[in-house]
Amino acid sequence: MSDVMKSIRRTPYQSFASFLILLFTLFMALFFFSITSYLNGVLSYFETKPQVTAYFQTNVKEGDIMNVKKELESSGKTKDIRYTSKNDALKIYHDLNKNNPLLLEMVSSDILPASLEVFAKQPEQLSSIANYLKKQPGIDEVVYQQNVVDNLLKLTTTIRRVSLLVVGVILFIAIIVLMTTTAFKIALKKDEIELLQLLGASNFYIRKPFLTEGIFFGWISGSTAFLIFYAIFFYFYPFLKSYMGTITDIPLFGLAQYNLYVWPPNAPFILLTYILTVLFGMLIGIIGNYLATSKYIK
Amino acid sequence: MIKFENVSVRFGSGITALNTVSFEIDTNDFVFLVGPSGAGKTTILKLILKQLEAAQGTILVDDLNITSNRFHDIETLRRRIGVIFQDFKILPDKNIFENIALSLKIQHISNAEIRNNVEEVLHLVGLPNKTLLFPSQLSAGELQRIAIARAIIGNRDIILADEPTGNLDPKTSWEIMKIFKKLEKKKTIVFATHNTDIVNSMRRRVFVMKDGHLVKDSKKGGYDI
Repeated sequence: MSDVMKSIRRTPYQSFASFLILLFTLFMALFFFSITSYLNGVLSYFETKPQVTAYFQTNVKEGDIMNVKKELESSGKTKDIRYTSKNDALKIYHDLNKNNPLLLEMVSSDILPASLEVFAKQPEQLSSIANYLKKQPGIDEVVYQQNVVDNLLKLTTTIRRVSLLVVGVILFIAIIVLMTTTAFKIALKKDEIELLQLLGASNFYIRKPFLTEGIFFGWISGSTAFLIFYAIFFYFYPFLKSYMGTITDIPLFGLAQYNLYVWPPNAPFILLTYILTVLFGMLIGIIGNYLATSKYIK
Repeated sequence: MIKFENVSVRFGSGITALNTVSFEIDTNDFVFLVGPSGAGKTTILKLILKQLEAAQGTILVDDLNITSNRFHDIETLRRRIGVIFQDFKILPDKNIFENIALSLKIQHISNAEIRNNVEEVLHLVGLPNKTLLFPSQLSAGELQRIAIARAIIGNRDIILADEPTGNLDPKTSWEIMKIFKKLEKKKTIVFATHNTDIVNSMRRRVFVMKDGHLVKDSKKGGYDI
């Protein structure tokens, strides 16, 4: 570590350039990672909701609804169909309004509609399922979320592509800058490297201080990027919370069993982003310095 | 043992730096390499150190054929060889202890052992209390002693000295030679020099080089070009 500190003191501007480019790269990587995992989580959230819900008029008999259900199931387009009877609907209503006795008193099962919640095998079939349901006698309303899911899917795909492109370009620039600054440092230590080679030092021994420096910059830049990102995030947290409304407990890429929640971000998720950011930074530092040393240490 | 068999070195510009040179130096022998500038003295040292490749011929260091295509362990070879340069090659930003310790650090020797060995070798070269000084605080003679200390530390059994007294006054040169005398019979020493007085007084084996040829090999020779 003392060698790293000495190197930083000897080349402060080059070291600062390495730090800044790594900080920028890691901040952007962290930003895009968070936004992509967040959008993926939101997408999964909507995908777990019923994709088409058909509400029947209150006078439709249960047998007729079951016939519609059977016919839909036999079409082969559906993954699952859940029937909610009037009584079930009342139960749900009671659960939602248990703190409001006035609302409970005013409603009975007679005025609540029975419904079918349909999950399609393919999102493209949602529209034909909805059209089929609309044509059935006794249908009051058909609600389906194809637009929400489609838009989210488009947005997630676009952001994933944009983030890969942006992070890729920044990563390339970061590695070039790191290689250049390391090459400068190698030039300053030319005599020492030559002497070490003549004394019989291995290439790894000669490379080690440069790689250690890369790891150090990865760690310090990753930590700083993490702190800046979460300082900004928690500053805007109240606004984001109000925007998200009732949507909570979104797991990271479906990893709920590991207690990793992207919204609201919990401690394990924050810790994971820190570890990933720092490791990514260290990896960039190692790659940049390794390439630079490979060019100059033969 | 160092053995050259018909070794030649040619540079890209068509210059022949060494022309079918053959010799054998026994283990713990002391050999002076003399000759005018450009005669091939440094080329021989560089070949032993594997800094240069021979165009033809075979070089053996003990039983190791270092000119063979299958030989790749340059690091191990170099760890057996201590080199003393005319320009010292002492790193200015490291103190004396750090400069000498470099030679051991690359071999991953423990810090305690490094400390003991450095103190021991500084006694041998007559500079026991200079460990914390920086090169800029030492004279040329002292710097050359440090270079010798770095070359001999860590059980390096071959010492290559490339005009180690070239920049020193006669008195200091003789002090340096006293250190080499202490090392005699303990290490194989190849000593390239222009210093007539030293070669004539020491009466050791002398290789005389001229235009890339080994023109004379005397058992107890003098500076006789």
